[in-house]
Amino acid sequence: MLADLVQNTLDGLTGGAAYALLAVGFTLIFGVLRRVNLSYGAAIMFGVYFATWTSLNFQVDLIVLALLTIAGAVLAGAYVERLCFAPHYPSRGSPRTGVSSGSIAAMVASFALWMQFEEAAILALPQHLYAFPPLHTGEPLRFGQFFLRVESLYLLLAAVAVCALLYTILYRTRFGLAVRAVIDVPVAAQLAGINPSWVFVRIFALASAIGGLAGFLIAASHEQVTPMLGMWSTVKGMLAMMLGGLGSLPGAVAGGLALGLVEAHSQWYFGPQMRDLIAYLLIFVLLALRPAWMTRWTSTRSAS
Amino acid sequence: MKVLLLGLLGLAAVPAAAQAIRAELDCKFSGTDFVYDCVVRLARGGVPLAGVELSIGADMPSMPMAHNIKPVKAKPGKKPGDYEARLDLEMAGEWAVKLRLSGPVRDQLVLHYEFDDKGVRPAVRRSGTSPRK
Amino acid sequence: MDEYSVGVLTNIGLFSFLALSAYLLLIAGEMSFGQQAFFGVGAYTGGVLTAIYGVPLPLAALAAMASGALVAVLVGLPTLRLRGLYFAMATLAAAEMARILFEVLHFQHEIGGELVGPDGTQGFRGIRWVFERGVEPLEYLAIIYGLLFTVLLAFLLVERSHLGATLRSVGADPELAASLGVDVNRLKLGVAAAAGALAALGGVLYAHHNTYIEPRNFDIMLGVHSLAYALIGGLGTAFGPLLGVLVDLGLLEGTRVFQGYRMILFGGLVAVLLVFRPRGLLDERVVHWIRDRAFKRA
Repeated sequence: MLADLVQNTLDGLTGGAAYALLAVGFTLIFGVLRRVNLSYGAAIMFGVYFATWTSLNFQVDLIVLALLTIAGAVLAGAYVERLCFAPHYPSRGSPRTGVSSGSIAAMVASFALWMQFEEAAILALPQHLYAFPPLHTGEPLRFGQFFLRVESLYLLLAAVAVCALLYTILYRTRFGLAVRAVIDVPVAAQLAGINPSWVFVRIFALASAIGGLAGFLIAASHEQVTPMLGMWSTVKGMLAMMLGGLGSLPGAVAGGLALGLVEAHSQWYFGPQMRDLIAYLLIFVLLALRPAWMTRWTSTRSAS
Repeated sequence: MKVLLLGLLGLAAVPAAAQAIRAELDCKFSGTDFVYDCVVRLARGGVPLAGVELSIGADMPSMPMAHNIKPVKAKPGKKPGDYEARLDLEMAGEWAVKLRLSGPVRDQLVLHYEFDDKGVRPAVRRSGTSPRK
Repeated sequence: MDEYSVGVLTNIGLFSFLALSAYLLLIAGEMSFGQQAFFGVGAYTGGVLTAIYGVPLPLAALAAMASGALVAVLVGLPTLRLRGLYFAMATLAAAEMARILFEVLHFQHEIGGELVGPDGTQGFRGIRWVFERGVEPLEYLAIIYGLLFTVLLAFLLVERSHLGATLRSVGADPELAASLGVDVNRLKLGVAAAAGALAALGGVLYAHHNTYIEPRNFDIMLGVHSLAYALIGGLGTAFGPLLGVLVDLGLLEGTRVFQGYRMILFGGLVAVLLVFRPRGLLDERVVHWIRDRAFKRA
């Protein structure tokens, strides 16, 4: 019993680390722009497919594949930003409450591009499933009777490193100061000569790069890719972001890990269908009750 | 308005066909992406069912209203009860193949098959979301 | 008309119910990612009633609409006070829960030597009420459009009434509307119920058109598409969502020559359209302009 609990927790951390990485990128865009990028996962999938295509045609190192995935995701992200978000950035006259038309338009446009990425991926690699070079070929780590996949260590390390990097960028650089100014005091930021659109573009590129890294690590641990990776990344990243309270980076990591743990345990006890049901139920109940930590960003307006 | 009238007046259920029609699908990948040469075998009570007008369409299980193929008319095949048609799908993967029978026998059947470069096989249902579904 | 054209027009009509459902919530200021769930609830309820219990379709459709409205109220009660994306996410979670519940729903009866009813992920075959009564596809198409135009007429009447103005005021600024004495919560609950019933009506018609449904038919893709249709067509009038469906499915069908590239073409077109018309083709300004012109001429 206890052994199952421990092993499930280890498995949950593996899944959770992937969700955490996805959620960090998603949260970065949401926290700064207050916009949902539905093609976030599709852009990641595009990057992964770019790398997969390269690995099928050329002999390349794993590190090159990682860079290619990130490059592909950033490229796709830039395209999404220019076409779906740049034209719909909030203006001063936008409504204070509810759903602004800009945010719906941006979201629906990003959804349209998701369809493009999916079709492009299928055109480039028409089979349903392709092998992706493995991240690690040896045995999993053993602690007595427990296993931990080496891949999950990479994912966890990457999540921690990305958070540290983002913290440094946001609190130790001039760019970070500009980002926080645009979020907390948009009018003052503009008066100080900060161009919000300049900030948004860079945030988008950063988030896409993190997404690309996540996509590479996920594909290399699963050792295979399908076009479903796009939808999966968007949904899981969004769920983890919600669990973490929307717009908070440490929250995104905690939300990702929590989602992974909840899924691993409920899968073990109730099977895969109940696993998803329980995850959604948890999120529904949390949203309906709206605990204080989920709404904190509305009052403190902090991006971190 | 025929349905409304029938519904309000004719509560008596129409009895189902005496014996249900079974259908099987076998397809060969043509070599061109997502084009398949298919044979449908129709039978009723184990007896091949010939002389039927058959049209074949296909829907994707997600978004069937938007992602479907134009129905094609099937031609009688080599054996009685066999019908041949060429299906041009949008992509590989699972499709819900819709058979519409008319002429002497009216019926409508839905079959689930997985299409890839090897041909087709009956679809296996998985559940839950996964990155490799 | 040939089978293909009838099929395309049927799909356009069926999708319009769902797009109108998303539109109704949008003009009341709520964006739902979950209308596909009510479409599914309608499809399953109606299908079980006609296929297993032999209930006539018109009665089954009414029951399906009632169940759609009921589920929408149950989902709406704890979530409608949420704003913007919180509401969108809560509806998404609710809709995915509904889809998974369809996946574990097994309720089969033997009818005429065949097992009929929902069979989890294997789907629900044999919803043959319409088919067995010899209703031709063209007749069924007429029924779908008859119902759709009735719904549309109701929309146009409501939008010209005091209720319609109240609805848009709640959508634009709920605090202001509340300060003017509008019971915002009750109004939104009513809107959610109506939108749920509308989606369920589309669902029951879909199930009987297709004779077969399965949980995956009602995944998030369906909901996001209906939201997109409402927005592409425009938020100024109930004709907007219909135009959205027509543009999408029409273009998809029209661009079959582009084969695999049609989603690339269409995706790009939608994104570019929204750059120039962020509230859709028939937005409020266009609708006012048309009304003004029509009024001057009269």
